[in-house]
Amino acid sequence: MNKYEKAAAPAVALMLLAAGAIFLFAPTDSLQGPVQRIFYLHVSSAIAAYGCFAVVLLGGVIYLRNESLAADRLARAGALVGVVFTTVTLVMGMLWAKPIWGTFWTWDARLTSTLVLWIIYAGYLLVRRLAEPGRQGARFAAVVGIFGFIDVPVVHFSVTWWRTQHPGPVIINDALPPEMLATFLFTMACTLVLAAVMIAIRYRIETLADGSVPAVAEQASVVTTREPEPVQ
Amino acid sequence: MTSSIAVALAVARKDLTAEWRTRELVPALAQFVVLALVIANFGFQIDSRNASSIAPGVLWLVLVFAGLVAFGRAFAAEREQASLEAMLMTPASPVAIFAGKALAATILLVGCEAVLLPALTLFFGTPLTAPVVVAVLLATIGMASLGCLFAAMVARIRARELLLPLLTLPLWIPFIVAGGHAVQVAMGASGSYDQAMALLVDFDILFVVLTSLAARFVLDE
Repeated sequence: MNKYEKAAAPAVALMLLAAGAIFLFAPTDSLQGPVQRIFYLHVSSAIAAYGCFAVVLLGGVIYLRNESLAADRLARAGALVGVVFTTVTLVMGMLWAKPIWGTFWTWDARLTSTLVLWIIYAGYLLVRRLAEPGRQGARFAAVVGIFGFIDVPVVHFSVTWWRTQHPGPVIINDALPPEMLATFLFTMACTLVLAAVMIAIRYRIETLADGSVPAVAEQASVVTTREPEPVQ
Repeated sequence: MTSSIAVALAVARKDLTAEWRTRELVPALAQFVVLALVIANFGFQIDSRNASSIAPGVLWLVLVFAGLVAFGRAFAAEREQASLEAMLMTPASPVAIFAGKALAATILLVGCEAVLLPALTLFFGTPLTAPVVVAVLLATIGMASLGCLFAAMVARIRARELLLPLLTLPLWIPFIVAGGHAVQVAMGASGSYDQAMALLVDFDILFVVLTSLAARFVLDE
């Protein structure tokens, strides 16, 4: 077992524990019934996605400042994991919306901005795939990641800025009974651990992928270093 | 600072002169705009009752796709003749070169809007008033700065025609939301025109500043 497998095992175990808390510990919602249990993972994965995209933003800014390859790999890892968690948020949200709102989708500000978020970072992944690996692709992707992050506060504050069908913040408004709040906080912590472990593993994969094309890495370093003028 | 402005104006003049001599883009876009209105007519089954409610949507759809073509072309000629590299080798700052290209592309898109707005009035019977024109022009500024940034980027990537809309359209949404609302109000819907315009100006400032900061990293080699 290498150290990545050692990290992955407890992360998965924590998610199973969270599932136990969601289905066995948390009380059933009196209005919505069992379907309300979607809430715990739906909101947690949205927060995990915000975190992942913040990693993309940070990695991009650091890369543009000092061309650190590690920051670029971190951004790549964050984007992929963030898209996964945004997908989870969207799919769970749709499954929840069908019984409660009567439709899978409505063009509400939060739903729309979350879908746009998914599209932006899917575009980021496409840039990574289509641009030449190395300095240029990393720079372009960093710019996309920085511009794309503008949508994260829009998603977060959409429920306050516009009148939406999607409910507003329930955590900071103290609208949850203590058992539900405890279950939510535990699920959120587990999801964040899972996201961090996924980013770490993806970071390792990106490092190995970079290592397998040494010619590109070498080329990039030749371009970046300015050789001194020969002394006559 | 003044030399940067001179460089930007020179680059813009070069692009506009090239367009004037070849007369490729604006006539093609003007034809595209009229064609798009014809397609909208069949797609929406337009009659005198629903024309005014559909027209703002058609306006933005057509403008967005015409913009994608205009900004995509802005760097196509440079790529085909590898002249961008030559321009970047001069001591001129990449941001000034980018500003010049963006300015020229904006003027060309405004030329295409000069066809679109009267055509919309002619075919859809919507009013061609100053509020409509100002809202469209304000949205054009921000859309052009973003569109040119990503056009400069995808010019060096494979499958650029595919990638330009995917990267640009999501970030144009703020302009379509605010500009669309302003045009709807100007064409008779209820709402606050001033609020939508204030939002448009905010987005213009935000994206013009952000793109000029990012231009260095996209153009510089």
